[in-house]
Amino acid sequence: MALSKVGVVSTAQTELRPAWSNAQHIDLISSVVTSVFKGTGLTIDDVDFIIDSGSDVLDGRSISNCGFLGALGAHHKEEARVEEDGLWGALYGVNKIRSGASSIGLIVAYSKPSESNVDLYWNAQVEPFYQRPVGFGQRAASGIQAQRYLAAHGIAVEDLAALVADRWAAAAANGTIAVDDVPGADAVLASGEAAAPLSHLMLARPVDGAVAVLIAREDIARRTSRNPAFITGMGTAMDTHSVAERDGLRLSSAANAAAMAYRGAGWTSADADLAEVSASSVVGELLAIEALGLAEQGRGLAGARDGKLVINRSGGALPADPIMATGLVRLAEASRQLSQPELYGGGNPRRAIVHGAGGVGMQNNCVFTLEV
Amino acid sequence: MGRHVGIVGVGQTHHSRRRTDVSQAGLVREAVDRALADARLSMDDIDTIVVASGPVLFAAVNQPEKWVVDAIGAQGKSVVRVTSGGGAGFAGALAGYYQVAGGFSDRTLVVAYDKLSEGQLQYSISTLYDPFWGREFAVGIMGFSAAYWRARMDVLGHTEEAAAMVAAKNRNNAIDNPYAHQKKPVTVEDVLNSKPLCWPIKLLDVPPISDGAAAIVLASEKVAHHSTGRPAWIRGIAYCCEADNAAERSLMLSEPLALASRQVYRAAGITNPRRQFDVVEVQEPYSCFELNYYESLGLCPPGQAADLIASGATQRDGDIPVNPSGGCMGANPIGAVGVIRLIEAATQVMGRNETHQIKDASLALVQSGGGWANLRGCAVLSA
Amino acid sequence: MYSAPDSYPIELPTFHSEINLPYTLTPGRAAGTFLAEVKNRRIIGSRFASGRVIAPAQDFSPADGEEPEAFVEAPQTGVLTAFTRVDGQVIGFIRLDGCDNEFPHRILARLEDLAAGQRVAAEWDAGVEQSVLAIKGFVPAPDAPVGTVKPLDATEEPLGVIPYAMKLDFEHAYGPYYGRMFDEIRENGRIMGVRQPGLDAALLPPREIDDITHARTGTWKACADTGTIRACSIINMEVYGVTRKVPYVYAEIVLDGASTRMIHVIEIDDLETAKKTIKPGTRVRAVWVEGERKGRVSDIERFEVIDA
Repeated sequence: MALSKVGVVSTAQTELRPAWSNAQHIDLISSVVTSVFKGTGLTIDDVDFIIDSGSDVLDGRSISNCGFLGALGAHHKEEARVEEDGLWGALYGVNKIRSGASSIGLIVAYSKPSESNVDLYWNAQVEPFYQRPVGFGQRAASGIQAQRYLAAHGIAVEDLAALVADRWAAAAANGTIAVDDVPGADAVLASGEAAAPLSHLMLARPVDGAVAVLIAREDIARRTSRNPAFITGMGTAMDTHSVAERDGLRLSSAANAAAMAYRGAGWTSADADLAEVSASSVVGELLAIEALGLAEQGRGLAGARDGKLVINRSGGALPADPIMATGLVRLAEASRQLSQPELYGGGNPRRAIVHGAGGVGMQNNCVFTLEV
Repeated sequence: MGRHVGIVGVGQTHHSRRRTDVSQAGLVREAVDRALADARLSMDDIDTIVVASGPVLFAAVNQPEKWVVDAIGAQGKSVVRVTSGGGAGFAGALAGYYQVAGGFSDRTLVVAYDKLSEGQLQYSISTLYDPFWGREFAVGIMGFSAAYWRARMDVLGHTEEAAAMVAAKNRNNAIDNPYAHQKKPVTVEDVLNSKPLCWPIKLLDVPPISDGAAAIVLASEKVAHHSTGRPAWIRGIAYCCEADNAAERSLMLSEPLALASRQVYRAAGITNPRRQFDVVEVQEPYSCFELNYYESLGLCPPGQAADLIASGATQRDGDIPVNPSGGCMGANPIGAVGVIRLIEAATQVMGRNETHQIKDASLALVQSGGGWANLRGCAVLSA
Repeated sequence: MYSAPDSYPIELPTFHSEINLPYTLTPGRAAGTFLAEVKNRRIIGSRFASGRVIAPAQDFSPADGEEPEAFVEAPQTGVLTAFTRVDGQVIGFIRLDGCDNEFPHRILARLEDLAAGQRVAAEWDAGVEQSVLAIKGFVPAPDAPVGTVKPLDATEEPLGVIPYAMKLDFEHAYGPYYGRMFDEIRENGRIMGVRQPGLDAALLPPREIDDITHARTGTWKACADTGTIRACSIINMEVYGVTRKVPYVYAEIVLDGASTRMIHVIEIDDLETAKKTIKPGTRVRAVWVEGERKGRVSDIERFEVIDA
């Protein structure tokens, strides 16, 4: 029996804010689970399964999905917790529908990094005997990644600042991200050292938020959505744990994941019209862009701002990184850009690349291809 | 529906109270090596990996799949972790099942583990509770599990004696299990006389704390034959949940388990579970839960679980043996248990169970779950 | 997002919660041996069949999971390959002489004085054992001769466990629903929930969306501080982190006016009596703390049985 094609019916997102100080996790979750159905003619009763992405460590609760089942709309349904970025939850959901076991699924991802020390969340991922005690974590990984990249390609850290400023401006224009002041390149450079040579604004800014994506088998997607984006390729790969052991100038697992996805889609990066890419830092974003084949090695900066295709029209992860949800937000953004181009400057984009990442130094990577 | 998915290789560690010779990563590697060898495969042959373990706070490594990937030689492959409290292992198998059934993979390795000796089990599990509303009263999962059992005692007759019969059955069955570590023979009287911990749960109603890992290789119909001539096909698998604090929440029946079983029985063509299944493996975090599963899985009507255990039907020589492996009472590395139950059931229908082969077993039922006793699933296997 | 019609936003500080856990982690043979040997001021590495040497020692090659064939002693000098500074601490990657891998550690020098490719040497921290921090860090050592990897005939017994502690602090937002509920508990000593959609019974704790129907909940309702036990057990064991004296009853209580349960405790004299007198259906009432309430569940000190 042929595998079903899966489309994105609709998406919903809370505003992504540095701190949702007047809302709990369940409020953010139930808000998007309520909103995602609007205009589709579907309700939570039509959903066969829920896949949720969240982190016990960020939530401050073991088996945190268990306390949030009601808000997720998961009562008496099949629910699964993927303790990885929501894009992997979407991968799981697509497989369920393709298998024929289900026809409509809800993918939810959320976090409230404001409620705890995010450095500890990352440090706790690093193995506890050799690396954790010396203080190696996400920031150190990003700093070293940047030092190597800049040195290898003769790029100055000042050159990165303009890209960061662009991303923040895009986020401010996006309408779904809380941005008080849009930093210019000078403000980016002056934002204080986070992980030499990177300044704070050069690292992805953790924000609170939730996102929901409703996916369905092709026939239902076409019935309920005017111009659904279809998921035509998926790939994922995980790099070695030790950052020091990885290729310092290449996100090889992101390249592997992209190759898998492009094989499924039957096209490659040259054919894409837009891309939504995750990152833990500005250099991470450049490495991801290169790994996805959107620029040659070392040429990510040119590709990021002036390339032939639109990368991170949403602003990407740098201004807004709802940890555990960032990749799913990328999927939501890319689907909307394909399905409703009139809201994004017009044009006729047909193909998108979506990228999510997890782990210290972007150890784990996931790539989707979308088409209308 | 989808592509047939079978279990074509299994492996588990010899579970123990405490392994001080291997790290969590090393423990996982042991199970992976055994499962791959059993499936006659190398890591190169594996397309994707699912790692499952209990809550992060059990063993202080956040997103541990990112650490153990190195130990199992899976660098560069698709690796993802799922978690679901006590049901983590089963949830891992479910995720792996859909990777194969959905065409994303031909061969998926599911490895589940917990190294409970490394942490403070009860305290870390107590953080399951809402920090605002009830956490200060939490006693791991034992407090509420005992309370729900107490509620079933009067209405359904799940007496201390009936639970003690379950405990004695499983503890004694575990003695033959080469992978179990809790192997002291007990009588029903021993259980009844053991110290109340969270009454009505008593010491011998409680499984041990264990370090252990278990792995299975799932394969599509297309490639299964490379590994074995007799895969354990997954005829149905489902995992359902209920909100933990609902007015209508039944403490009597496990509705998520009943819903999952209804779905699974339909997929697998089961109309009379009591008669059709040759063997059942369930995950009993405490002995009282096994009584609840008899009823929720439809092995007997509500209120008759005590009769069922007393009749001897669920003993090894009965007509519906439940936990011939010893269940959790022999070894309880919580996050791995769902996969261990799948291994025990799979090897039964494959005719190669190492604990106690049920003669001519061809249809097996597996149950697993966790959380607030509100995440529950089951699967049907046949060769 | 919406509030129930008679809700109002509450200005509240956050709710502090702490998760503080001790652990005994097992490092495994390679790390266990490394950690045991640091007291001898030796750096233990792993050598693989291919000839590849990794330090610190690993049970499985980070490149492909291969198991090593022997432990070796790595030199204490090497090359700094990359570095950064986080919160004032310089962290770098070091490749020890004769080794094929790099690993992170602290660099005891000013960032401005460092360059990739510099030679560095380990500096030990007297008095620190059983930790990778027995090496205080690496210092620039431009004249240090290139060391060699040496074979080992004997090593200390690998450490079976090392102590570890995890302390996580959280500042949880109340949100308007919990905010009002706890405000009412503190100010008025009363417990309020919100009505289930279309019904009169209150949900405790209150929230915007009903768990079962996913419909919007209704208006606020005060519950009594009496109620009925729905389920209970008798706690008779000590548990890490719990200071309450055993035995006592752990109870799920449905307050009059509510439909969902709250969890609390009932003091008892002895286990055997409690088995008979406290069970599902038993009526209970809240015993509030004396003195000032804080706006917590613990403002109710305990519940007590209402004698029939």
